[in-house]
Amino acid sequence: MADWRRVVRARLADLRLTPSAESELTEEVAQHLEDLQRDLQSGGASYDEAYTETVSELDDIYALRAGLDRSQCMTKYDAVPVGDATSRSFIDDLRRDVRYAARAMRTNPVFVLVVLVTLGLGIGANTTVFTVINTLILNPMPVRAPSELVAVASVASVSTAQANALMPLSYPNFSDYETQNGVFSGLAGYARMRALTWQADGGSQPLLGEFVTGNYFTTLGVGAATGRTFGVEADTPGDPQAVALMNYGTWQTRFGGAADVVGRQLRLNNVVVTVVGVAPQGFIGVNGLVGPDLWLPFAMAEQLLPTEMRTAVRDRSKPLLQGVARIKRGVTLAQAQASVAARAAALAREYPAANEGRTVAVRPIGEVLFGGGSTVVRVAGAVLAMVAGVVLLIACSNVANLLLARSAARQQEMAVRVALGASRARLVRQLLTESVCLGLLSGGVGLLIAYVGLELLARSLPATGIFTTSRLDGTILLFALLISVATGFIFGTIPALTVSHGGVSGVLKEARTAGRSARRVTVGNVLLAGQVALSFLLLVTAALFLRSIQQAYQIDPGFKADRLAVFITNPGQAGYGEPQSDAFYEDVRERVARLPGVESVSWASNMPLFARPVDGLQIEGRPLRSATESSTTIVNTVGRGYFETAGVVIEKGREFADLDRPASLPVAIVNEKLAQDYWPGEDALGKRVQLPGEQQMREIVGIARTGNYSSWGEPPQRCVYVPMEQNHLPAMTLYVRSKGDPAQMVNSVGREISAAGPQVLVSGIRTGQQVVDGSLFQARIGVALLSVIGLLALGLASIGLYGILAYAVHQRKREIGLRMALGASQSAVLRMMVKQGVSLVVIGVAIGFAAALLVGRVLSRILYGVGGADPVSLAGAACVLGAVALVACYLPARWATRVDPLTALRQA
Amino acid sequence: MLVLSLLEDQPRHGYDISKLIQVRSGGALRFHVTSLYPLLHRLEKQGWIVGRWVEKAQQRRRRYYSLTVRGRVALRAKQQSWKDFVALISRVTGVEHG
Repeated sequence: MADWRRVVRARLADLRLTPSAESELTEEVAQHLEDLQRDLQSGGASYDEAYTETVSELDDIYALRAGLDRSQCMTKYDAVPVGDATSRSFIDDLRRDVRYAARAMRTNPVFVLVVLVTLGLGIGANTTVFTVINTLILNPMPVRAPSELVAVASVASVSTAQANALMPLSYPNFSDYETQNGVFSGLAGYARMRALTWQADGGSQPLLGEFVTGNYFTTLGVGAATGRTFGVEADTPGDPQAVALMNYGTWQTRFGGAADVVGRQLRLNNVVVTVVGVAPQGFIGVNGLVGPDLWLPFAMAEQLLPTEMRTAVRDRSKPLLQGVARIKRGVTLAQAQASVAARAAALAREYPAANEGRTVAVRPIGEVLFGGGSTVVRVAGAVLAMVAGVVLLIACSNVANLLLARSAARQQEMAVRVALGASRARLVRQLLTESVCLGLLSGGVGLLIAYVGLELLARSLPATGIFTTSRLDGTILLFALLISVATGFIFGTIPALTVSHGGVSGVLKEARTAGRSARRVTVGNVLLAGQVALSFLLLVTAALFLRSIQQAYQIDPGFKADRLAVFITNPGQAGYGEPQSDAFYEDVRERVARLPGVESVSWASNMPLFARPVDGLQIEGRPLRSATESSTTIVNTVGRGYFETAGVVIEKGREFADLDRPASLPVAIVNEKLAQDYWPGEDALGKRVQLPGEQQMREIVGIARTGNYSSWGEPPQRCVYVPMEQNHLPAMTLYVRSKGDPAQMVNSVGREISAAGPQVLVSGIRTGQQVVDGSLFQARIGVALLSVIGLLALGLASIGLYGILAYAVHQRKREIGLRMALGASQSAVLRMMVKQGVSLVVIGVAIGFAAALLVGRVLSRILYGVGGADPVSLAGAACVLGAVALVACYLPARWATRVDPLTALRQA
Repeated sequence: MLVLSLLEDQPRHGYDISKLIQVRSGGALRFHVTSLYPLLHRLEKQGWIVGRWVEKAQQRRRRYYSLTVRGRVALRAKQQSWKDFVALISRVTGVEHG
């Protein structure tokens, strides 16, 4: 009798049936054929005839294939071939690994979900932070070859701690540098942005204008999105063209993206200007965060801002233009610096009055984008990036721990594969493929989170359209992809190496009995201690910033912010002459003073915390100027009752009074800092000073307490107050002190101002508290972000702690049962388990503590009034972490005490 | 329906079924193994028949198929609809069968 089983199996092999289906079918069919052959032979047929007849039964194998159920067939390919199938190509292997990974994920959806959420948060946080940093710091300007651009600015030739600030160049100096240099292919200038009054439809609105030299757009290499830019022909001093280029964002938000915006005429400060084009999307000039609404030829400044700019083109001592230059190919920054400095020295000899003691600095453009705040922005950016990186590390180690825990279940699978001849490298590769697949999926989730985060961030900015906006673009996608793959490798490597490690027989034997090998405990614990350390570090950082901002609010700014409101008015831009403006100021003061709820009202030229120091204060009886001495001071022109309204204390002497008239003796009030600097140990009252740009000396009649003038918590600055009757200005800020909530009288005050001057633009309406909050805006945003990220890290770490302990309890069930059976009390078991977790936490906190001290030292540069090693922050973080960790340990430990000894022992 | 009716009175194995079909039809109907066994498996999957491996003394174990309750119901329905069909054809063609 023929071996029908063999025949049938050979025929069925092509069908790739599942093993059980194949063996059953083989047996059944083989029997059938055997019976048939026997019957045929007993019916008289020869063996050969019977055999041929019987075999023909199997001819129509297609019917069999078609008739069989799909569930009995296997997939077309083996997911992972038994043994080490290196004969196939890499791509084939990869495809198989990916398919296998997909299948492994489908079988464990909860695990995958946890991983996706954990890593998604980590990757999302990183992508968000990177997008912001990428937009603000790394690639801020959509211009041609931004790396060739440098900032050119005036600095003191002998730099001291206080006097190395970059100052603008005067127009005549700028022209000299522009025409006589061999290192720049172009040097353009731009003045700081100024609010212009746009008169349209019977009302007035503010537009931010930036005056730029004619070669500005060619130097930067920026074209127009619509229309055209303007060039040097528009910027002829004395004969300028009244043209403007509009910001893309302004075009979209303020002009609704109107197609006919090019050619439109705008009445700005009573001058008609024609819009000739719109700048490319995303271009906001050489500015960090906020750009202007309009770019105008610098030569137009004299018409638009007559009071301020009357002498701009001629006055060598009037610093107006920031320089931006495109450095020639092959010229280094140092060469450019040396060349320009030589020119500066020549100018200082030629015009000593204006240029002595000053030289010119050439700096990378990134340093000027955020003005004085560049360092803060960079440090904050670096901190954020590190913090986000740390969160991702924690997320990775969490997932690695999860994988380790899960790998116990796969230990046997791996051992069997190794036993069947798989090489370790092959297994590691396959496990890594799984991790990288998880990483990529998480990257998708992370991008989603980043998208939402950026939307939220964008919504928190005012919708004026002049801000830079962060978008997800190719760079970001690439970043997310890289970070996802890297993440997959990071969290996958340790478990993969651990799983595939270890002898075959050992694992096969061990698998059922013990569970965790000592090695895995160690790796898991190290990861966990690291997580605790990192989250401790983040908590301390967040606490430091929180304490810092608390301290910052405690600072006495030298004025009283509560019950205060300020209103910026600009009658000069509405076309008011000097007598008209003075009448307007007086009218407004009287009207507002009559309002119920107003305690006092006054005028001042400076907004609180927005003042800029000027150079060139002269002191009677002192050398006019020395090369090394900085004579910068804040100048504030104030009305009667200012000191009472703003809450500035007069320490000595008197306030300004009615007797200080335009024709009377010129007077001034100085602050204590100025008095201290120039007359230490002497009485400053009765001494005389001369303000920059003024011709006569002013007698000091009072001394005011030093406060903050330019920013919150700044180092003390000198300040001079002069009465507005003796120093007319076309724009002033109204200070109103209310009896109750200042926000409630903002509208009525605004109405009174409009009644006094319908054409006058009122802007910058803020309460004192808003002014303070605004100046601490960056810090508050930073604290908010850090707190969110710190809490995220704490959450992730505690979940990790909980997970690994719960797993330990599960693994040690038998041991715990045995202990309890032998008389261990519940509390002893509880102690034992909690101790395991707490010891990890203690180690982690110790490492984190050391790291926090190091990081604190770096951070102390941007903290207010808190040292880097602040004991309150350290102790606070330790307490919070300890409490959370204790709960995370306690819950699984409690679970351990509920182990029923009998059940545990029987199960084991 | 053929297979189901053969299994109505007693469980049979695959070879038995194919032989009976061949014998009863006088050789006119014949199932190859390649169509018979998929058919049996399909019927089993539908829940109309159930196959069991039975070991008898002195014999190799064989897979016997028997009719389930659902199979019996299905058979009744099929027999009825076949009868109706035959009656219909007969009335149309005018041929009467005893």
